[in-house]
Amino acid sequence: MDFRDSPSELAFRTELRRWLAEALPQGWGETVFEPQDEDERARFRLDWDRKLHAGGWAGIYWPKAYGGRGATLVESAIFAEEMARARAPDGLNIIGRNLVGTTLLHHGTEAQRQRYLPKILSAEEVWCQGFSEPGAGSDLASVRCRAELHGNHFVVNGQKVWTSFAQYSQWCIALVRTDPGAPKHKGLSFLLIDMKSPGITIRPLRQISGECEFNETFFDDVQVPVENIVGELNGGWQIAMTTLAYERGPEDALGRQIRFKQELDQLLVALSGLRRGKGRVVDDPVLRQRLALAITEIELMRLNCLRTFSKYLNGGQRGPDASLIKLFWSHAAQRFYDTAVEALGPLAPLTAGDRASVAAGRFQLSYLQSRAFTIYSGASEIQRNIIGERMLALPR
Amino acid sequence: MNFDFDEQQYRFRDTVRRFLDNEAGTSSAENRLWAGLAELGLLSLLVPEEHDGLGLSAVDAALAVEELGRAMAPVSLAATLAAADTIARFGTVAQQRRYLPAIASGSLRVGLAVMEEGAGYDWRDLATAVDTRNTVSGDKILVPDADRCGLILTAARFDDGRFGLLLLDPKRPGVLIEPHQTLDPDTRFQRIQLDAASIAQDQILGGGPSEKSLGHLLDFGGLLYAGMLIGLAGKVLDIAVAYARDRVQFGKPIGSFQAIKHKLADMAVAVEAGRSAAYYASWAMAENAPDRARAVSMAKAYCGDVARQVCNDAIQVHGGIGFTWELGLHRYLRRAKVLEYALGDAAFHRDRIVAETLLALDRERETVAS
Repeated sequence: MDFRDSPSELAFRTELRRWLAEALPQGWGETVFEPQDEDERARFRLDWDRKLHAGGWAGIYWPKAYGGRGATLVESAIFAEEMARARAPDGLNIIGRNLVGTTLLHHGTEAQRQRYLPKILSAEEVWCQGFSEPGAGSDLASVRCRAELHGNHFVVNGQKVWTSFAQYSQWCIALVRTDPGAPKHKGLSFLLIDMKSPGITIRPLRQISGECEFNETFFDDVQVPVENIVGELNGGWQIAMTTLAYERGPEDALGRQIRFKQELDQLLVALSGLRRGKGRVVDDPVLRQRLALAITEIELMRLNCLRTFSKYLNGGQRGPDASLIKLFWSHAAQRFYDTAVEALGPLAPLTAGDRASVAAGRFQLSYLQSRAFTIYSGASEIQRNIIGERMLALPR
Repeated sequence: MNFDFDEQQYRFRDTVRRFLDNEAGTSSAENRLWAGLAELGLLSLLVPEEHDGLGLSAVDAALAVEELGRAMAPVSLAATLAAADTIARFGTVAQQRRYLPAIASGSLRVGLAVMEEGAGYDWRDLATAVDTRNTVSGDKILVPDADRCGLILTAARFDDGRFGLLLLDPKRPGVLIEPHQTLDPDTRFQRIQLDAASIAQDQILGGGPSEKSLGHLLDFGGLLYAGMLIGLAGKVLDIAVAYARDRVQFGKPIGSFQAIKHKLADMAVAVEAGRSAAYYASWAMAENAPDRARAVSMAKAYCGDVARQVCNDAIQVHGGIGFTWELGLHRYLRRAKVLEYALGDAAFHRDRIVAETLLALDRERETVAS
């Protein structure tokens, strides 16, 4: 066990830190922030993705052959630490990197990897995920979106829902039914769908935060070339499980932890400067107890991920630990945002745009967004089933 | 970066587990247990090589300490390990020579006398004092196995107002040991009354007051208690899971019901997060990392909360049988409860976590600004 940087890790960290100091706008995180408008923010994040790529910081643990850096999960952990420290923005192509890229690295053909991976890293192609449907939420294997094989292409008909970033995406990974007669897990295939294909309609869905990050996506006789299947025909369930393992896994969680850590630091700074009655808010002993739990749990998110990284690097297999990581971070983050809003006391109701709002209403927005954490990527109830059955070997 | 133990550390854990599994936790076998663990090398682990030890660190001890918690081994083992590391780092050469080989061989058991009735967990509030005639007076509570210890590491204030540690011989005049009545009789907590007990110069750790040594002892002890707590929690989780697989109601194993399955899943997540906290703290302690205090406080507060919660939930999963004396789940709950309050409860450590975090944040902002 050693948390010190090796000489090469230190060199990586130093180089990244230097690069970040140059790449971030002057006054970033102090006076300059992300745009408030959703579309402008998406463009800003896409630009940031491209900047990271141009600097050589995209796909840190991906093979060089596909445009990655060819480093290990350790470097990606250092990357996360430095991003948190510099309060760097999120990217836009998260699904492309974390879900699509990793799935193709496992199951894609060489031609598919060559075709798609470099453009994911360069953020020339943004991806969305077409898994959930109105009738297939936690029971994902009951998807009904149909793909029929006609000669050299599939014809896709049906509807997907909660399609995050569909409006900004060039491509979509979709779980579709190719054999309606087979048992439900055995009639599914995994397709790569060009979002420019005729017959695709996107309808934005407004979320409780007021934002429209996700959408309903309709497929109406959409033609998908047969070579866009990943894995075998009717073998899509296994591929989707790989995607989900990464969606819930430590790489994804560590990326999210960056933002929680940034907002935690921001909260602590704000509360140190905020006075209520006779003293500083941060000195309120009752609040401090809750802040300590938030500090602890956000640090434990990171440590859980690092432990799992080391396990993988030392030859351990991916397993239900992804569910454990996701269940922990999602509930811990919700507790953190509960605390963050409560800490503001009488100012808690004031959101972005109000002149007395704290940190431009960021904590209220995050609080609302956080309600989704325990639902997406597999609801907590599903994660608990997985942990109970696969980790604890409890009967079904 | 590597957040994993090495093969040797895992092997040592397995050896300790096998040994403890074979030993029944009865008081008659207690001396044998102590001798056996010494033979396996547990007690020499933290003793430097020049004093007949293995010269290893808190990281090497972490998994074994978890096993001690699982097996409900004597708390005084953790106290003795914390004392060994503290004496090795802060004792004079003569003190090291006198005590460390004896600890390593298993012949010297050490008690930690820190807490007092009138003080909280901040050592600055301790009233036990050494006066100008070099005698110490005060009233220490909750010292595990004090009557079986050959040395009591005692926190005290010196006449210059600074604090430090005394290497107290419990057989000397002026030292009165009496048993407490406690929630966990197995821990064998004792009260130590000090009534003008004389202190020779060589009975002051390092030869004089040293708040650093006291801080080190408290952090090391807190770390080891956290490790015991998470080991205990892991064991109780295993017991509850095994029961849920076997116990049938409504014609099915109760572990198939989501109400039970989900509770057990939450317990498993908490235990794993507690391990992350305890393992990281062991490294921060071994390396005296800048965030040592925060890491130890996180581990102690978090693992204490997890252990209590896991014990509570395990009793619930067992239903009526869980509440019986005979089944024995209460022994784990009792141990978890007393360790929870030893060397800082969660409230104390949480406040320290915030204080340390704010300090670190200030320092970081200064570096970024400069």
